[in-house]
Amino acid sequence: MTDATLARTPLHERHEALGAKFAEFGGWSMPLQYSGVVDEHTAVRERVGLFDVSHLGKASVTGPGAREFVNSCLSNDLDKIGPGQAQYTLCCDESGGVVDDLIIYLRADDDLLLVPNAANNAEVVRRLAAEAPAGVDVRDQHREFAVMAIQGPRSERTVAAAGLPTEHPYMSFVEADFDGVSVTVCRTGYTGERGYELVVPWDAATAVWDALLRAGESDGIAACGLGARDTLRTDMGYPLHGQDLSLEISPLQGRSSWAVGWSKERFWGRAALLAEKEAGPARRLRGIRALGRGIPRPGMTVTVDSDPVGTVTSGTFSPTLRQGVGLALLPPEVTEGSEVAVQIRNRTESFEVVRPPFVQAGSAESA
Amino acid sequence: MYPDDLRYTSKHEWVRSPGEAEGSVRIGITHFAQEQLGDIVYVQLPAVGDELTADDVCGELESTKSVSELYAPVSGTVVARNDDLDASPEQVNAEPYGAGWMIEMIPSDESALEGLLTAADYRAQVEG
Repeated sequence: MTDATLARTPLHERHEALGAKFAEFGGWSMPLQYSGVVDEHTAVRERVGLFDVSHLGKASVTGPGAREFVNSCLSNDLDKIGPGQAQYTLCCDESGGVVDDLIIYLRADDDLLLVPNAANNAEVVRRLAAEAPAGVDVRDQHREFAVMAIQGPRSERTVAAAGLPTEHPYMSFVEADFDGVSVTVCRTGYTGERGYELVVPWDAATAVWDALLRAGESDGIAACGLGARDTLRTDMGYPLHGQDLSLEISPLQGRSSWAVGWSKERFWGRAALLAEKEAGPARRLRGIRALGRGIPRPGMTVTVDSDPVGTVTSGTFSPTLRQGVGLALLPPEVTEGSEVAVQIRNRTESFEVVRPPFVQAGSAESA
Repeated sequence: MYPDDLRYTSKHEWVRSPGEAEGSVRIGITHFAQEQLGDIVYVQLPAVGDELTADDVCGELESTKSVSELYAPVSGTVVARNDDLDASPEQVNAEPYGAGWMIEMIPSDESALEGLLTAADYRAQVEG
């Protein structure tokens, strides 16, 4: 857990002092949990939680034509947003597989910040840099910024109490001054709750972390690890790259075709994805919810009438529902409302195919 | 954290002799095991009447993040199971030696208990 080859975030000592258990994520030693996954999950659904997600990638694309260039590579349509807005998008390969999913912060037409997944930052940077026209600079900034997520119904009060702006719309961001350093406050998240993600210069990370924990103290803020982040996003049916989206699982299969700018003339994988769209995807990612006490886990086989038909890609116990939920790749004809079985080691458990989210976001009472 | 009056296995079960049922021993998992597992959300236990063989898998513990197996510490017959864990598996985290107990067994050979680890042995294993 303290493997010297793993990268550490600038908040590592804070996590140790809080008694975190660590696990490896994409080459980084990250807090998996502090008080416990269920506690932390509940804190985010009912109050507010603070996550260190500094393992997330960061890369800048700058220079004249930066926006047009990125729009000709990544899947979503950047013309749908303006400066100060963020967008979820996909980096596909020419076969339509997903190299990564990421958030773009459009700071200006010649200045974009990309936030890919930890394990894929270098590859996204490599692919963009290889095709960047003269004058457009693609730079890996993985270790220049920390990223913190503040999520939950009381997140707005916490962020405001720390002296940071909160009132901008969903998927937009504001640069703010925090004790002389510039902090980007974006209304984004991966939990389904109202929340913010902060991009903070590496050296200012501990000061911002401490200020947020202090600001949220009276609202019952909890430091939350990546264990809770996973149960929270699974509750919402949000895909995780490497499990629910991958080079083998296209956006059409993985419930993510909404993040493809189909009317654009150019983006990586366009021809393959248009052909797949025309033919109809061979399998689709769907939600499954336990009818009994089974907890699905990635890699488990899904059966219908004892015939294997698909595979679980994500699955966990939902602390909100107190029930097993997951995502599975299923044939198109196995639609919502169908009953399927999942082979869970030595037993067979029944599941209903449902449309995520499993939990109504923000529905929890603010006690 | 590892009471002296219990015996232990290298697979992180504890055994209390006697159990509540006549001639039985009570079995659960250790503080170390529950802490490693994290929040336990599902416990599958053998049924009353099942015949178990020492070291065989006899149940399953699932946490939010992983699954681990329950092993029979000794051979014998299951005479009680903690039905409360069906609805409240978190008791294993809260009180691993109390309300979080799992089964009671009548050992087929009482002397097998002597072969289990003492608290000192077990402490050396998990803290060593």
